[in-house]
Amino acid sequence: MLMQSIITGLLLGGIYAAYSAGFSLIFGVMGVVNIAHGELVMLGAFTSYWLYTLAHIDPFVSIPLSAVSLFIIGYVIQRLIINRVVDAPPIMSYICTFGIHLIISNLALRFWTADYRSITTPYCGSNLECAGMVLPYARLATFGMAILMVGGLYLFLSRTDIGRAIRATAQDREMSRLMGVRANHVYAITFGLGAAITGVSGSLISSYFVIYPQMGLSYTVTAFCVVVLGGMGYIPGALLGGLILGVLESLTATFWNAGMSSTLTFFVLFLMLIFRPAGITGKGIVE
Amino acid sequence: MKGMKKLIVVLVVAGFLAGLMAAPSVYSADKIRFGISVPLTGIFGKAGKLVLDSYKIWAKKMNSKGGILIKGKRYPVELVYYDDKSNPGVSAKLVEKLITDDKVDLLLGGYGSSLVFAASAIAEKYKYPMISGGASSNKLFERGFKYYFATLGKATEEVRGCVEMLKELKPKPKTVAIVGADILFTSLACEGFKKYSKEAGFKIVHFELFPMRLQDYNSMLMKVKKKNPDVLLVGSHTLVAIKTVKAMKEIDFSPKATAFSYGPTVPDFVKSVGKLGEYVFAASEWTPNLPYKGPVFGSAADFDKTYFKEYNRHPDYVEAAVAAAAVTQQIALEQLGLQPPFNETKREALMKKLHAIDIKTFYGEVRFGKDGANVAHPPVAVQIQKGKVINVFPKEVRQAAPIYPMPTWKKR
Repeated sequence: MLMQSIITGLLLGGIYAAYSAGFSLIFGVMGVVNIAHGELVMLGAFTSYWLYTLAHIDPFVSIPLSAVSLFIIGYVIQRLIINRVVDAPPIMSYICTFGIHLIISNLALRFWTADYRSITTPYCGSNLECAGMVLPYARLATFGMAILMVGGLYLFLSRTDIGRAIRATAQDREMSRLMGVRANHVYAITFGLGAAITGVSGSLISSYFVIYPQMGLSYTVTAFCVVVLGGMGYIPGALLGGLILGVLESLTATFWNAGMSSTLTFFVLFLMLIFRPAGITGKGIVE
Repeated sequence: MKGMKKLIVVLVVAGFLAGLMAAPSVYSADKIRFGISVPLTGIFGKAGKLVLDSYKIWAKKMNSKGGILIKGKRYPVELVYYDDKSNPGVSAKLVEKLITDDKVDLLLGGYGSSLVFAASAIAEKYKYPMISGGASSNKLFERGFKYYFATLGKATEEVRGCVEMLKELKPKPKTVAIVGADILFTSLACEGFKKYSKEAGFKIVHFELFPMRLQDYNSMLMKVKKKNPDVLLVGSHTLVAIKTVKAMKEIDFSPKATAFSYGPTVPDFVKSVGKLGEYVFAASEWTPNLPYKGPVFGSAADFDKTYFKEYNRHPDYVEAAVAAAAVTQQIALEQLGLQPPFNETKREALMKKLHAIDIKTFYGEVRFGKDGANVAHPPVAVQIQKGKVINVFPKEVRQAAPIYPMPTWKKR
């Protein structure tokens, strides 16, 4: 029972990490708390949903499409809107991304209605049984993807030219500009990248979670908790934060009750912000 | 000259006031205007849309005949509605606006217990009768209101049919686990499950309420699975029902039966979970095969046909209850011979009439108890069989016998 609960929690943590990494990236580079983050998850999930419903494309196959379309959406949103408030006080970007959140979720509501949808593939919900424990395949896959995405992002930022440009801009915008980095372009690429991996997580969850236009905000809130726990802007922190939160919630739900698991999440968030604002790793950005 | 100016000012003000007072007269007395505050967006948006559709089909049906026949004259029906965004505060404000601003003749009920709770308090204040077909929380009926009625039974009573059906199964289940979302309607369903399970002699091995925003059900249900209940009873909305079924499959949890208070009867359910939804039971108040008939829509099957023709989907029991609410108010008007324009005296007479009414409709018998709840209506249970909602209880009218125990996930 204890082992099963921990494993269920780790798998849940993988899901959290998958959809929180993009949030952390965007915050780390631009200092923007993207309140429309959950909408990116929603758009990714709906991309897979429509491809599955209309063209019978498996949600795992539609992952690249979801990534590409979300990259474009992210790039455009950044270039047209967020870029204008990047240098303004943080409150401006909260208001701005909150507006984007409202616009996207209400447009989705207008076009797709408030229906609860879910992709149920023939293999949906099938699981691996191992030593008396149950491991759903789709969640194992999400877990794997979370590690790949966080690892890939980490390598991308540390080993490639664009990655270096992104980190340089994050550290000192003016200086990197003097060195010939096109800051606006770098920001847009970062936002696109963050949106793309978030879209991928949306595709991943579409086969086991329920999707609907107004699902976004709760994802934003969870992503915020995960990222604060792991350290704002520190990419591997998203994985760590996700796993800790997942296990914590699972253990609470198993041995106490499910209502307390959300309470505990916010309690942890509260404690972290007071005592360890840079996250468990201490590598987060504190302003 | 000064006097002249004063006179002009006085005249202008008087004219303005006269205009204000005359304004209501633009609403002609040749039709009856019904005001509705209904959620079209937010968490109840989907269900609220169904409620509105149901009112629209009633209005269309009446208007195709020229309107409601009162004392030999036909009065067309006009619906005036606003989106309350699933927010109780907004709902209350909108009902006040409908009454004081739009000056509607009468009201129709919205959807969702928390919303109707707020809306009906305003209706009571202005002495407007309100019959709801989309709210059933017990506390709606515990306020001593005189103007509030519901065609649905109370939330705790709605699940009775499910438990009674389970009681008659062979071999009789021994243990049950009850879980549900902690919002008003679903937690009351859990209370009902608990109450009737005790009466039926089931042992309750687990009882838990969880927050609506709980993202993942696996850990919670894993715990329930370990307790190995014969039956899982869930106090649910559509979203909760979908998530529960998907989680049960993921963690390979196969009780002998699963019953939901609400959800599986909504077409979205089968559409989104497909075969995973097979064999689940659900509480219901109405199915099209029930042998009821009455004025306006004819029989239960006729209502289903009319509805399907209009919207290309079958009505759920809430839609039936909503249409029945509109029909009940209409029949009370006809029987009283109350013609518009309406005033407080007429609305009070209507309220008194509703307390005394006992009519048969396509939805079944409607008779309100002192607290406004429909006391004449028997509880019904359904099961998803081959993707269709099949009536399995009460025994006398069922379309098929319940399938029990349901096959385990591995054997499907």
